[in-house]
Amino acid sequence: MPPAIELSGVTKRFSDQVALDGIDLTVDHGAFCVLLGPSGCGKSTLLRTAAGLENPTSGAIRIAGKLVADVARGLHVAPGARDLGMVFQSYALWPHKTVRENITWPLRIAGLAEAERKSRLIEVAEMLNITPYLARYPSELSGGQQQRVAIARAIAPRPSLLLFDEPLSNLDARLRVEMRTELLTLHRQTDSTIVYVTHDQVEAMTMATQIVVMNEGRIEQDAATATLLSEPQTAFVAGFVGNPPANLLTLRRNGTGWALGAQTIAFHSLPLDHETVRAMVRPARIGLAKQPGERRVAARFVEALPFGAQHFIQLESDAGRITALVDDWQARAYGSGLYVELPARPDAVFDSDGARLT
Amino acid sequence: MAIDAKMGGRPLPFPVGRLLTPTFSVTTGALVLIGLLVIVPLAGIATALASAEGPDAISDVFTGRIARNMLWVPLTNTFTIGFVVAASCVLLGGAVAWLVTMTDMPMRRTIGVLAALPFMIPTFAVALSWTVLFGDDRLGSASMGLFAQLGFDMPAWLAWGGVPVTLVLIAHLYSIAYMMIAAALVLVGRDMTAAAEIAGASRAQILRSIVFPVVTPTIIAAGALCFAEAVSSFSAPAILGLPVRFHTLATRAYGAIETGTPERGYVLIAVMIVVAGAFLALSAFLQRRGQAFTTVTGKAGQRGRMTLGGWKWPFALAALALVITTTIVPALALLFSSLSPRTGALFTDPTLHYWFGASDPAIAQGQAGVLRNPQLLHAVWVTLGVGAMTGVAALACGLVIGSAIARTKHGAMAQLLKQLSFLPLLVPGLAIGAAFIGFYGAPIGPLPSLYGTPAILVLAGVAATLPFAVQAVASARAQIAPDLEESARIAGAGPLRILGAITVPLAAGKLIAGFVLVFVKMVRDLDLVILLYTPQLPLLTVLAFRYASDGFAQFAHAIAVIILLVSVGAHLLASGFGRASQPWLHD
Repeated sequence: MPPAIELSGVTKRFSDQVALDGIDLTVDHGAFCVLLGPSGCGKSTLLRTAAGLENPTSGAIRIAGKLVADVARGLHVAPGARDLGMVFQSYALWPHKTVRENITWPLRIAGLAEAERKSRLIEVAEMLNITPYLARYPSELSGGQQQRVAIARAIAPRPSLLLFDEPLSNLDARLRVEMRTELLTLHRQTDSTIVYVTHDQVEAMTMATQIVVMNEGRIEQDAATATLLSEPQTAFVAGFVGNPPANLLTLRRNGTGWALGAQTIAFHSLPLDHETVRAMVRPARIGLAKQPGERRVAARFVEALPFGAQHFIQLESDAGRITALVDDWQARAYGSGLYVELPARPDAVFDSDGARLT
Repeated sequence: MAIDAKMGGRPLPFPVGRLLTPTFSVTTGALVLIGLLVIVPLAGIATALASAEGPDAISDVFTGRIARNMLWVPLTNTFTIGFVVAASCVLLGGAVAWLVTMTDMPMRRTIGVLAALPFMIPTFAVALSWTVLFGDDRLGSASMGLFAQLGFDMPAWLAWGGVPVTLVLIAHLYSIAYMMIAAALVLVGRDMTAAAEIAGASRAQILRSIVFPVVTPTIIAAGALCFAEAVSSFSAPAILGLPVRFHTLATRAYGAIETGTPERGYVLIAVMIVVAGAFLALSAFLQRRGQAFTTVTGKAGQRGRMTLGGWKWPFALAALALVITTTIVPALALLFSSLSPRTGALFTDPTLHYWFGASDPAIAQGQAGVLRNPQLLHAVWVTLGVGAMTGVAALACGLVIGSAIARTKHGAMAQLLKQLSFLPLLVPGLAIGAAFIGFYGAPIGPLPSLYGTPAILVLAGVAATLPFAVQAVASARAQIAPDLEESARIAGAGPLRILGAITVPLAAGKLIAGFVLVFVKMVRDLDLVILLYTPQLPLLTVLAFRYASDGFAQFAHAIAVIILLVSVGAHLLASGFGRASQPWLHD
């Protein structure tokens, strides 16, 4: 089966800024792909370009193997002919149509017969628990209900590809958790491919089979959730993903050792052909000590954040802010003369431009 | 008056202690204000109709020998003007709104700013400028317009009567329709049309099934408002209709009141209120559904613009022609006319005589230029003073009524206060003037008659502008989220401190804008004050109207230019050149 969607070399330039910069992305059929990144990174533009709401400046897009946009050939298939559904952050429900009409109007445009429209309506209304509200107008529904209607409207035509643009950001925390579960169920039931935009990494981690981290119009990393956490490809990913994100320590080469602030520390297997590197060290691999020693850096206690049975300890050193995850902090953390102990080998090393070295 | 005596004599049905609660006293104050400003004068018209002469006047007007000329012909004229104006305004205003907000038309920002201006140009100024351009020699050479001077044979129907009245009202009112429809179109979010596009809807289907239905309630409201404004207008038919005995309800009512048969005038005014009010009430009812639309969440401001392609420039030029014809052209016509030595000689030997000239027996019966004319300078001060006093008084009333509405929250009292304070919107200015003269024009008990005092002008002005003042206060309040005041309270600030440090600074912008709106409405108004003014209290608009009727066109036009400058200038200042009132021009 061809990939559900495939972008090659897609660039989108608005008059004064580059929103997408040479995007290559493949999403396999049946995947739940999350585009994750800070606001303004281009993830929504990517989604809208895939939908055909924006024309790319260059590049090509295939949906289910069919070419839908190719700037070189001047091809641009209309959004309605791309066999996809989209759920907007604002829900974009038509305010003058009832819930029933919101769901069935697209079906009528698609040319479905009355009986088929009715059965689809019943099906999606039951799937999303909105059967009691079919006669209401969108303004008579709560935010959560509007959200369900928007999803029902998107899936009723049974598109092969579903696009979600930050769909849960207008809901309260409890509803958000609830909707996450429902979206996963929906994904399984409809056997569709989902491309989902969010800036919330918990949302990404809990739903995605594939996470695409974006920054400044480029893809930083495209990987499965576990890989993203264990093997970040760029310093941006290392510093963005994880809760809290891993420590990124700037090291300057000093002979055969590495200067961290005022101290020089021996690290194993760091590339000696670089003057400056950034070392990623996860909080769990940082220890606390009362005495100075090898690979120990003087630090000052700032705050302790409970995390289950453990605590995240925030410390201030002359190499910057360091976070450690420890089991038992009270006995050790308070008082002066505190030291953080770094592991002999960092979890990952990046060059000064953020590219992964080891 | 009987009503008053009854109110004063009735014992209070509740313990006096309750008067001390702020909610109660504010609410009572609000009710008294609305009662004195709106209810009592309007009730006065009803009382007059129920008086001894009332029934005779009613039967005269509706069935008597004069009924045809008094009521039925003017009523037909009024309705025809109202419908043609409403339909044309919705069409023109809607088209400009669509071009400015939804397409990639070039120069759309300039066109948007200009399209909001005609509403700030008083109708009587547009009507006077019409005579400058299209007048013929029917009324003597003094009324010869530019085209007649250039040798064109002006058809009578284009110079005077129903056609010019209609066109002048369209030129003034289409800009309200533009503002309303543009504001509604902005609410049709980008996502809403994108969702339809993804469903496979064609451009025509999107316009027909999404965009148009969403703005329909607003289109109806805009049409109703233009209709009501058109049928209420006195100045346009007075300037362009009366010279050829073309009458509308407003001019007939004015004539009846001026010629000593006020009861007949009141009957006609009652008919006007019903005609104008019925359409506005109908639209308010239809809009209730529309209001629900505005609560929809959406990223307003983010809109995909429709590409016009080859039609880009033709549309832009047509829109530009429209906005220039209705703004710059009338202004220049009036200015040039005020600079011409004689009427009928528009561009020959421009002179500043009518502005600065000393009295010269050879010109205009020895009248000095407007800026040297003591009566006129007096009128400038009276007009600005009455405008400013009305602005302050209207805002003060707005604050009392606004606090009463806020304190009674969503209860029945809040609803009642809202409805009553918006009542003057349904009543033509001429009718409010007539009501005030009927009620406050005679002594009430020990109180002297207010006729001939600035008080009656200010009171009537406050009554007419009350809806705008209440609205300004409400939107100033809406500007301040309750948690802003609450957080100041938690910080330990007392009520006065909060008022001075939080409330006033945040609300000031909207309150000033509200003041300017009321001020400008007063300065440029003719309909409301035409029955209330006296020679001791000359107002600019009335003087311009008098000068025009007496054949001193240049003086009238010079005054019109002054009013136009004050009106447009104040409006532009208050709206930050459209920044505040037309957010869609700045995305």
